Amino acid sequence: MNRFEEQSTKDLFDKNILTESQYIQIKAYRKLGIFSLHNELKLFLYLAVLSFTTGIGILIYQNIDTIGHVAILTLLLVVTLVCYYFSFKNSTGFRREETSFENPIYDYLILAAVLLTCIFIGYLQFQYTTFGTHYGLATLIPSGIALFCAYYFDNKSILSIAITGIAAYIGLTVSPQALLNNDLYNSNTLSYSAIGLGGVLILWAMYSNQINLKKHFTLVYLTFGLHLISISCLNNLFQPYWFVFLMILAASLYYFYNASYQFQAVSLFIFSILYAYIAANIVIIKIITAINIGELIIPFFFVVPVYFVGSIIIFIKLIKQFNQQKIQ
Amino acid sequence: MIVYSKIELSNSALKDEAQSLHKAGFISKEQCDYFSKDLVIPKTNSNLLVRALFSILGVFLYSSICGFFALTAMDNLDNYYAYLIFFYAIIGFAGAEILARSKFFGHGLDDAFILGSQLILAIAIGIATNGNDLVIVAMLTATALLSYLRYLHLSMALLFCLALTAILIFGIFELDTSIHPFLPFMMMLFALAIYLSSVTVIKNLVIPFYHNGFVLTKNFALILFYLSGNYLVVRELSIELLGQEVPAGSDIPYAFFFYAFTFVVPASYMVFALLKKDRILLWIGLLSLFFSVYTIRFYYSVIPIEFALSIGGAVLFAITLLAIKKLKNNQTGITFQPDRFTKTNAFLNAEILISTQMGGLKPTVTTESPMEFGGGDFSGGGSGGSF
Repeated sequence: MNRFEEQSTKDLFDKNILTESQYIQIKAYRKLGIFSLHNELKLFLYLAVLSFTTGIGILIYQNIDTIGHVAILTLLLVVTLVCYYFSFKNSTGFRREETSFENPIYDYLILAAVLLTCIFIGYLQFQYTTFGTHYGLATLIPSGIALFCAYYFDNKSILSIAITGIAAYIGLTVSPQALLNNDLYNSNTLSYSAIGLGGVLILWAMYSNQINLKKHFTLVYLTFGLHLISISCLNNLFQPYWFVFLMILAASLYYFYNASYQFQAVSLFIFSILYAYIAANIVIIKIITAINIGELIIPFFFVVPVYFVGSIIIFIKLIKQFNQQKIQ
Repeated sequence: MIVYSKIELSNSALKDEAQSLHKAGFISKEQCDYFSKDLVIPKTNSNLLVRALFSILGVFLYSSICGFFALTAMDNLDNYYAYLIFFYAIIGFAGAEILARSKFFGHGLDDAFILGSQLILAIAIGIATNGNDLVIVAMLTATALLSYLRYLHLSMALLFCLALTAILIFGIFELDTSIHPFLPFMMMLFALAIYLSSVTVIKNLVIPFYHNGFVLTKNFALILFYLSGNYLVVRELSIELLGQEVPAGSDIPYAFFFYAFTFVVPASYMVFALLKKDRILLWIGLLSLFFSVYTIRFYYSVIPIEFALSIGGAVLFAITLLAIKKLKNNQTGITFQPDRFTKTNAFLNAEILISTQMGGLKPTVTTESPMEFGGGDFSGGGSGGSF
């Protein structure tokens, strides 16, 4: 709170934008001198959960042969169950619309419970091969539990864990780091399944929107879908059947472009135009190499700045359009 | 000095205020929209993603213009390439000026030109003077200050602070070696001087436009003050820069002072932050405390990392729970209740992203390896060291 903000409020009042009662209310509220540690304390809870589960994970990983398995498993199970017990006890129960715990602590408690469940089942499979050679089950079961918890307790972090679990089941690593390093897929078939999974996520998001089931999850599903489909299509643009993937990419980006308007989501909007721009550039480079300009290389460099100015103007227009629609 | 119209800048401040009042629920959306609709303000992108996108495009534009000139001057390039780089810097300054005059302020495009021109200028001076550090940072200090005063970009204020600090450090290295060991203390005094002067300026500031810049300088001084006395920084830098040797079993001079400093400063930052209700100071305090813990762990690994993480996590959880319980119902002052004026919660998105990374399941790659979890590798294993 600085004095210039206070000055701005007074200016707004002087310009007759604020009514007198509003102005008095604002001044009274600011006089309370509220210094809210809401976000900071929630962040601490989150950090505490992450470091605790990471610590337990390393502990088990390093001492896997030395401490008694039963002891570890029992301890893990007890801690996990305690977390689940308190979360269920304090939850508002399942609802179709957005819900939250009365006290945000439980959001983090349930997150800890889900992370510990993942460790527990992984350990179980490793030590006792509970699921035999059905290795997939060891990822599918935690994902199922996470999915249930995400819907029951209305938690987006857990939902994203569930989605990564489902992706892992079909063989994909979809962590942000993997996306950045572009080592999403090591084979073509995997990129086909990535596109398939992306499609399924979109369909599920559309369906749950229609039946009013946790509408606010839509953005999480669409974000995963957008990146999965776009990145695998872009990778496939360098493969023999690139034209098919160009069509798929164009169709899905068209959908995401419209969806970003529908859900007022800037991130979807930016990434869909960004992917479209990258694809367009790849196609332009393909054309240039195909017609083999050779002699025309010098004039080509003269055109490049103009090309960038043109694309900047188009981007500015697109974003202006998006912002205008947002105001209305 | 400021290139933008002052009326438009104040309009922009008023619009921000109206929007934050609307978000806090004091005024209706109609009131806010009615007011902002016809207001003339500079072209700004408040969304960071959009701004980043435009700055990437700006970099493309800048480099393509440079490429264009490189191509035209290709024949004479061998002898005069230093001039060419100075010319690139001039292009950058011209571009920044043109964009600013067309009312681009914090739009992304202007960021690329303003930052890019400074960077290229530094490279050009480096080439011209055969890499004389002192000349480079001295020039940068001047240009960054001028750019900040003209374009009001906080990045320039930060660059100014960094370059000014660098002048001091390089300057001291030019002096007699007997002075070198006092570098940490001189840095502390320097930080104190910046802090005091920026606090005085903030108090007496009449026009609001430079306010953020001075707030940045003030906080920069606080961080610099902590770092200049941090044990890890002092010890490693005195080995690295001053060639001092620390034999096993012995310690750096005044070690006791630096140990105390490493913990007293973050603690007092946090206490003052809570007393003065200064959120930025609180964050600086927290981050420096984390760094202090890291400092100690760097030299003395008291307990293995996995126990440190598990126990630390559990303790942090318990302390936070207590704090929440205590602050839950406060209606004034320090409280756990959300502030109506709090800016949008960026943590939530970050949390989802980090969960995806940390808690994310990975596919079953190896099925036979004895040291691999059967069903994929879980959160803990891979992330140990870097966390």
